[in-house]
Amino acid sequence: MQLEKIDDYRWLIPRTYKAGMRTDAMVYANERLLDAIRKDQSLEQAANVAMLPGIVGRALAMPDIHQGYGFPIGGVAAVDAQTGVVSPGGVGFDINCGVRLLSSSLTVKDVKPRLRDLVHQLFRDVPSGTGQTSRLSVSDSDLNQILEKGPRWAIEHGMGSEADLDNTEERGCIAGADAYAVSPRAKLRGKPQLGTLGSGNHFLEVQYVDEIFDTATASRLNLAEGKIVLLIHTGSRGLGHQVCTDYVSQLDEAMRRYDLYIPDRQLACAPIHSPEGQRYLKAMAAAANFAWTNRQCIAHSARGAFKRIFGDATAMPLIYDVAHNIAKLETHFVDGKQKRVLVHRKGATRAFPGQPVFIPGSMGTASYFLLGQEGSMRETFGSACHGAGRVLSRSAAKKGTTAKEIQKELESRGIIVESLTREGLTEEKPEAYKDIEAVVDVVHNAGLAARVARLKPIGVIKG
Amino acid sequence: MAAEFEFLEHTSDIGVLAQGSNRNEALIAASQGLTSILVNPADFKPLEERFFKASGSDEAAQIVNWLNEILFFFDTEGMIFVEFAIESWNANEVVGHARGERFDIDRHEFRTAVKAATYHQFESRPAPHGWEIRVFVDV
Repeated sequence: MQLEKIDDYRWLIPRTYKAGMRTDAMVYANERLLDAIRKDQSLEQAANVAMLPGIVGRALAMPDIHQGYGFPIGGVAAVDAQTGVVSPGGVGFDINCGVRLLSSSLTVKDVKPRLRDLVHQLFRDVPSGTGQTSRLSVSDSDLNQILEKGPRWAIEHGMGSEADLDNTEERGCIAGADAYAVSPRAKLRGKPQLGTLGSGNHFLEVQYVDEIFDTATASRLNLAEGKIVLLIHTGSRGLGHQVCTDYVSQLDEAMRRYDLYIPDRQLACAPIHSPEGQRYLKAMAAAANFAWTNRQCIAHSARGAFKRIFGDATAMPLIYDVAHNIAKLETHFVDGKQKRVLVHRKGATRAFPGQPVFIPGSMGTASYFLLGQEGSMRETFGSACHGAGRVLSRSAAKKGTTAKEIQKELESRGIIVESLTREGLTEEKPEAYKDIEAVVDVVHNAGLAARVARLKPIGVIKG
Repeated sequence: MAAEFEFLEHTSDIGVLAQGSNRNEALIAASQGLTSILVNPADFKPLEERFFKASGSDEAAQIVNWLNEILFFFDTEGMIFVEFAIESWNANEVVGHARGERFDIDRHEFRTAVKAATYHQFESRPAPHGWEIRVFVDV
């Protein structure tokens, strides 16, 4: 594919590239990242996203972009809220997969001597959910409340405080969520999984602040070099997966009624204002609220694990919780005019100016805490990247290394890892991901989000 | 030919290329492929049976929905199936059953969680030796 270089961090796929593209696609990357991006189908997928009916501005690809199904992972698309479509594939199966960062009153010196105990306690107290059931007993009525109220339900049940809601995107609750738009099958799948981590790339990481780039923001949040933080990465578990499965199927059939054409069936969509589109948005909001509650419950268990090891005085305030698989109605400037749009962020983080953005790296490298910048509002509908982005397939990652070797190698670097499965280590080894420094460099220099701090892992829990 | 499957490379997900002497066998091979992503199937016995029905407006939807049934039974009951049988397959639905046992973390090896079967690069078509199905799953 011939890309038009705009500058060192921006590359354009012109709408003339492929018949059916309604707009250009912009890729945020440097030359080295672009070489990796070209190796899979992600740029073709970004061009396909530019075909969505009602798309406004450009289709966008973040520097962590890699091949997904339908949408690329690391893709952003805004559609006109009146005339556009909603695509469950533009959100993904793991609705409101996201990250939550907690700070702590501890330093790396406090934690190192008892790190193994801490990691073990976290591993015991936060179940992965595979072959282990949730410790939470949730009735049908509780589940309906979770779907419509989000983490407020957890706070009412003693799992957190009002301050947690203040520091959660949307205060953990998308308005318009309807528990009855979520199928009984989705509820059955998700109910035993509340408060569980899941597997794949989901994790809990005990990290320390390695370097601070924005002293003012860091000191406002009581972050200093050497301070311990906890990063939680998970989503809506089987409930969200089933909501997406249900609605991809329903919208796949609805498309014929609305005479819509898309180049990949996994991009199935329906007009936002159609009954099918509205019903999906209500179910997606409910699944998103479930995911925020899931991360709230996990944070509560993790706070308990820290207290068991380091004493009841251990404080762990929430810095922020942000979604990276979601569709949201927002107001943005399009062609100089304010416009209501539905922003699909599939593996992309909201990055409104001044809002915390977390970019997890792989378990052996580093993660970044950034703040959204004005450039994101001008160019990316207030979005930035969401991770390092895979570069190796899972089978390629597994070749040539055993889980024990990875565990040993990480331990030699001071990182203690506990994983329920061998695959949790081999498929997620550091080499499977792009260089986090390069990815963060692009969003920083493109003016989408600015570095606040680099965080390095010392304890990792994988499902 | 014997029903068999192989895994396909994908940056973030996993593909299954399943082959059989006919379409039913290919779907059974795809089901076994999906199970092999979830767990090591060698550890499981066909102790319990569940009824499968997957409807859809076309063959792709029916196959994707059948595979999603496997994931639904795993998430809700912990069931892992090692034997699959297809009883009927018409224009609207595929009906069959599967036998297996419940996952036990102390006895069984879990591999990778799968969120869903997808339509991405999906194929179901006649092949030189019978039939083949290609499906990518989101992990």
